[in-house]
Amino acid sequence: MTFWLLRRVALFAVSLLVASVLVFALLRLLPGDVAATIAGTDATPQRLAAIRAELGLDRSLPAQYGSWLAGVLRGDFGTSQLNGASVSAELGRKLSVTAPLVLGGALLAVLVALPFGVLAAVRNRTFVGTGISAVSQVGIAVPTLWLGLVLVLVFSVQLGALPAQGFPVDGWADPGSAVRSLVLPWVALGLTEGAVLLRFVRSAVLGVLHSDFLRTARAKGLTRGQALRAHGFRNAALPVVSVLGVQLATLIVGAVVVERVFTLPGVGSMLVVDVGNRDLVKVQGEVFLVVAAVLVISLLVDVAHRLIDPRLREVR
Amino acid sequence: MRPLLWIPAAVVALAATTVACGTGGDPGAPATTATQAATPPDDQLDLGATVDVRLILEPVSLNPFSTSGVAVDQLLLDNVYEGLVSADTADGDKIVPRLATSHEVSPDGLSYTFTLTPDAKFHDGSALTSADVVWSLQQQIAPGSKGLRAAEFASVAAVSAPDPTTVKVDLKQRDTFLLWNLTQRGGIVYKKDTDFATLDAKDNGSGPYTIANWNRGADITLARNDAYWGAKPKNAKVVLHYIPEPSAANNAQTTGQTDVQTAADATLLQPFTANPGFTILRGTTTDKFTLALNNKRAPFDNPDVRHAFRQAINKEDVIAAYGAGIPIGGPVPPQDPWYTDLTGTDAHNPEGAKALLAKAGHAGGLAVTLDVPNVYPRAIADVLVSNLKQVGVTLTVRQVEFPTWLTRVFTNHDYELSIVDHAEARDIGNYAKPDYYFGYDNKQVQADYAAARAAASDGERDELLRKVAKQASDDAATDWLFVNQTHTVVRTGVYGVPSAETTNRFPLSGIAVGK
Repeated sequence: MTFWLLRRVALFAVSLLVASVLVFALLRLLPGDVAATIAGTDATPQRLAAIRAELGLDRSLPAQYGSWLAGVLRGDFGTSQLNGASVSAELGRKLSVTAPLVLGGALLAVLVALPFGVLAAVRNRTFVGTGISAVSQVGIAVPTLWLGLVLVLVFSVQLGALPAQGFPVDGWADPGSAVRSLVLPWVALGLTEGAVLLRFVRSAVLGVLHSDFLRTARAKGLTRGQALRAHGFRNAALPVVSVLGVQLATLIVGAVVVERVFTLPGVGSMLVVDVGNRDLVKVQGEVFLVVAAVLVISLLVDVAHRLIDPRLREVR
Repeated sequence: MRPLLWIPAAVVALAATTVACGTGGDPGAPATTATQAATPPDDQLDLGATVDVRLILEPVSLNPFSTSGVAVDQLLLDNVYEGLVSADTADGDKIVPRLATSHEVSPDGLSYTFTLTPDAKFHDGSALTSADVVWSLQQQIAPGSKGLRAAEFASVAAVSAPDPTTVKVDLKQRDTFLLWNLTQRGGIVYKKDTDFATLDAKDNGSGPYTIANWNRGADITLARNDAYWGAKPKNAKVVLHYIPEPSAANNAQTTGQTDVQTAADATLLQPFTANPGFTILRGTTTDKFTLALNNKRAPFDNPDVRHAFRQAINKEDVIAAYGAGIPIGGPVPPQDPWYTDLTGTDAHNPEGAKALLAKAGHAGGLAVTLDVPNVYPRAIADVLVSNLKQVGVTLTVRQVEFPTWLTRVFTNHDYELSIVDHAEARDIGNYAKPDYYFGYDNKQVQADYAAARAAASDGERDELLRKVAKQASDDAATDWLFVNQTHTVVRTGVYGVPSAETTNRFPLSGIAVGK
């Protein structure tokens, strides 16, 4: 396990380095730059050149990459070239919205997916099983955007029960109003993500139900429920944990649609705005930190796999 | 088993609800517009109120000296920072006193003397004196100035301060635009020796508000400056919520999250029309939606093709698709002193357009590409596609991000057709710049514009600028789709909301909330 973990951490470091090169290079393919955003329609070629020189945009790409990476290694992820905002501070502020949004949404997704997914598998080919399957298909097909709009119309505009959009100006200073502004986004995210997860839970449990080891357990005299609880769920959990990990990772930036519908100042919305302004130093710092977070999640998923599945622990 | 049945039923019910109460109104619904109720006396107002306002475009920086964007002007001009003079958007952009209580112009027009109010203070508590004004203007005229609007002060020879409340501006030549340019951000008075790079972290203007908080990507809070030298704001705080989505903005307004919704989508006003809870104000803007035709590139180097395109496009169709606006036919909106009605030039005439295209050798059809920033409604470009198809032109629409547009179209002039909202006020000078991205190069226009700037009187200037506008239209330098009319939705019980030109200058201190 120790050797495996060391190797896994080394892989993590290499992945981060590769990611840093990719993030830096891909952003440089975008047409337009931050000097154009600063000077706008008052720009003259001389003014643009002066701004580029001042911001160091006239240096070679390897030189720009080198100084950025040197900063990252010192723990300095840079500042916005437009307004001097610190990348790590900004990301922290946005994560105070996105992290609860994603975790709450994922929790709701699990609460929807686990019981109904298991039920759909156990009651496969009955009215209930087919019904759950059909509804989950609808859930996958429904765009989050649409669901979000409907939720707002019903619970905010019609019933006036919850805020229609936005996050409190003073953030979590008043936890009650912060939570209230996250309820509808959680539901929108939880139902659509839950529908996806439900399909995986259902097929994982179905797979386990037809496995040899479960039949053996039943032959030893266990009921189907006992066999599932003792042996089945642990095996079914493997693919589900993987999918949940991927879902969590993609949601950190992928919640942008929900953030947009509910005008939440989260990580996804911030990246869209920053890319739009070509504030590339800020974008690359933010993306780099998000990539690091995703890699950490995948590391944790691997560790979880090994804890769930003793067979993996024997593989070095 | 049974409880699960409600899920599909609920999905159907929700779908029905969207149809029943969707915010998407009838696009053709006429907007109810009204005048605002007069602001009651102070004893009937809640002077400690916080006003929540919806805006669209968030500024990228709080440094008005060197960062572009009308969102910066909208937020900061007259709210946080002030100039010697200001423009009254409610009164056709009349130039009005601000930090300078009065000014005198020498008979030869080469010297302006401003008398400052002795009471003005910066937010850090220090007095605003003529030394600050001199320093601020010198930052604009210094060689290699980083000031965004430095070019506007090319006529200024020297700025001096005979005493703490007097500023003298000497010109190299007459400049009929000087006062106007001083109302804009080039005229902002900063504290002497301000490091502009620090303005993002801490503002230091002299205006009625200070910046209390900026949640980037969400909102900016302005707090009343209780030490303000002039009339104090009628509200304690204003929270500017940057909500780009029109439907989210509508929901925020209908549910009371915002008191004022600026730039409401004209096709989505239904929830507020004939609703006693709201008033819809309609105001003029300087947002000229301009179709640039690259004069330096074939086929638009041929004036016949440019005229053909102007005649092919039905401006009424474009306005109907956008929701609100008025045709202008030239580069000047109606509220400017040098406006002249040019809508008769190249009026909608598909047959005339076809004939002109045939004359130019394109009888067999023509294919061109339109580059348009993706911030504008796609409906505008769709109208152009269908209008142009009727005269044999195949239009390919390329939606691009704004920085891409700035680089490709604005800087590199690498385009055929382009649409942009030229939101800046009084920017007719763009037609006198041969290097501008329009590629329009008419020596007479350039001479008339220069003469207008150096004219002996405003009347003479206005006459020359009318000539410039007419010539630009006669040459089909660009096409002008419409000038926007903006809708502001105000919650009943809120008073004093500006309704004109809200994208450029949005003075907040008169907004009041009734008790």
